[in-house]
Amino acid sequence: MLNYLEILDRANNGPYLSEENWDLEKVAMTARRLVKKYKVEYDPNEIVTSDPAIADAIYQAGYEMAVELGAYSRSTERIIQLSQEEIEAGIRNMKKTLVMGEGKDARTLHARRLDDDLPPLFFGGSPGTPVPERYFLQNVISYMQEPLIDLATCGTLTEVDGREVRTGNPIEIVSTRRELQYMREGLKRAGRAGMGMLAAQSSVSELGDLAVAHPDYLRPCDSHLVPVLNELKMDHRNISRAVNSLEYGMINASLPCVIVGGLGGGPVGSAIINVASYLVANLTCLADYHILHPIHVRHVATSTREVLWVISATGQAFARNAPAIIVADIYPKSGAGTMELLYETAANAIVNAVTGSHLEGCGSADGNAPNCSGLEARWMAECALASHKMKMSLKEANEWALKLLPRYEHVFTQDGNPGLPFDQVYDLQTIQPKDFWLKMYEEVKTELKGMGLKV
Amino acid sequence: MSEHLEKIIAAIIDGDADAAEESAQTALAAGLDPLQILNEGLMRGADDVGKRFESGEYFLPELMLAGRALKAAMDIVKPALLEKYAGSDSQVKGTVVAATVQTDIHDIGKNIVASMLTAAGFDVVDMGVDVPIKSIIDKAEELGAQVIALSALLTTSMPFIKDLIELLKARGLREKYIVLVGGASVTEEWAKGIGADGTARNAAEAVKLARELIGA
Repeated sequence: MLNYLEILDRANNGPYLSEENWDLEKVAMTARRLVKKYKVEYDPNEIVTSDPAIADAIYQAGYEMAVELGAYSRSTERIIQLSQEEIEAGIRNMKKTLVMGEGKDARTLHARRLDDDLPPLFFGGSPGTPVPERYFLQNVISYMQEPLIDLATCGTLTEVDGREVRTGNPIEIVSTRRELQYMREGLKRAGRAGMGMLAAQSSVSELGDLAVAHPDYLRPCDSHLVPVLNELKMDHRNISRAVNSLEYGMINASLPCVIVGGLGGGPVGSAIINVASYLVANLTCLADYHILHPIHVRHVATSTREVLWVISATGQAFARNAPAIIVADIYPKSGAGTMELLYETAANAIVNAVTGSHLEGCGSADGNAPNCSGLEARWMAECALASHKMKMSLKEANEWALKLLPRYEHVFTQDGNPGLPFDQVYDLQTIQPKDFWLKMYEEVKTELKGMGLKV
Repeated sequence: MSEHLEKIIAAIIDGDADAAEESAQTALAAGLDPLQILNEGLMRGADDVGKRFESGEYFLPELMLAGRALKAAMDIVKPALLEKYAGSDSQVKGTVVAATVQTDIHDIGKNIVASMLTAAGFDVVDMGVDVPIKSIIDKAEELGAQVIALSALLTTSMPFIKDLIELLKARGLREKYIVLVGGASVTEEWAKGIGADGTARNAAEAVKLARELIGA
């Protein structure tokens, strides 16, 4: 396996290329060429394709892109070249199982296949969402206490002790440590102290990440994010996150947020970039598992037709060709306290689960506001488990998505659908959903049961 | 419409920088007024590209390529414009310094707004991402800009926008600039609270706002 310091060397000494030329002449042009070469087309009515040739073509095209382009260092404006042998070694070394957490609360993530006998696992939390300190603890407990949730994640603290957090400032150290203190306290109060976490979400630069690599905060059995920047780029900050894990041993989750409608063009090119990003991240992020989080160029949400297509194609591409541990984020447009959030979550959960991913969520209201709660994470898990229990086929998953989309697609043409903040949908004393929110959830559940979903 | 203008429009829509440059040269050589080339050729092409992007027909690469083509053609047309209309500033609406503020490297929104402002006739200097606030102010001073357009996606980078406005005040420069702010979490209320001159929900609205505020 490639010595990670070699990645640093290549970031410092690789061939020079301006960032604009990397974006346009390398990434965009290569995506465009590969889309034509592999003749894959996006069909808005076949969000979950049943054609294995499409998944295989996306994988092959992504593989070609990874070998041809490698990665790019924004810090040095140099290309981090990766040989085909190195990409191959990265694929061979992708983990098939990964234990997160400890003791009775430990869970084993596995590289899922299509029609997998094992159900997916669930990360509960609203990753990266700004959450005020005054109810941060109650918010994370609302997810941790859900019996179906296996692993914990959280939002971002944007203020501590009334002080605004600024990225890269010393206060980022305080905020990230504070986040981990709340997370550990939350796990204890939920009676699940050993539960594994994907945390340090308050660390936007490398500062917070460095500050919590300690067993009192982020344990070696927990994970942190090592982002791939749009597209196929790294920088010294994110390389520092990977380096920070070298001796300490915490688990690296690669996070490429491929922009659908961005440099890859439409869904097909974006899926190709997503595949290439994982293959590159095996080496540049030292990825132990991968987060699947494509975002829509205008609507952000993962529940749009285009993004669902990318999630499905990428998940199937790996499940069929190179099983890997993939955790698909759910970032719905709508926020807590709305029916649409529940429909969006259902569509996303079914598509993600059937096409080979584990699940994480929900980053409700696009992760822009603290309008998120544990109840939608419960719903996410219930819908995904129902699809697993029903042995839902790809074709059936597509039919479900097509049935659910008309129930929420209007939110993309209106001025958002943010819903309500956590403290207005949950009782902060009991940490239970308020009646109207629980009733809404039960209504949608009854409706989908009536449609045949075995929740 | 003249064949020359049609070729210019097509070159912008196709994002073909060579064709844009060549067709602008040919149009000037044929005696077309540079202002007509700008308004009825380049701007129409840019407008068409903007509409295609908004409708989902075009994606970011097409927008970036059109921006390149526009820049190539403008390099040809601008000297002729200045020569013919020296002393008049009617064709250039204003200089905009655009940047994603320090610690934030998200650039797609800023790139789209910068491209659309360029297409709308503003002279846009895009400083890129993760730009220290002091450098943004220094650049605006150096260029004599009228507008500072700032972007931050990360909520923990947004405070630096506020810091920039405070620094402008501290340096006695606040009244010199129109400060526009944007980003996924930026709201009108927040923009108003930090003393910005405005924000917009999308690139088209940003252009409209910039035009209104600058009086163009």
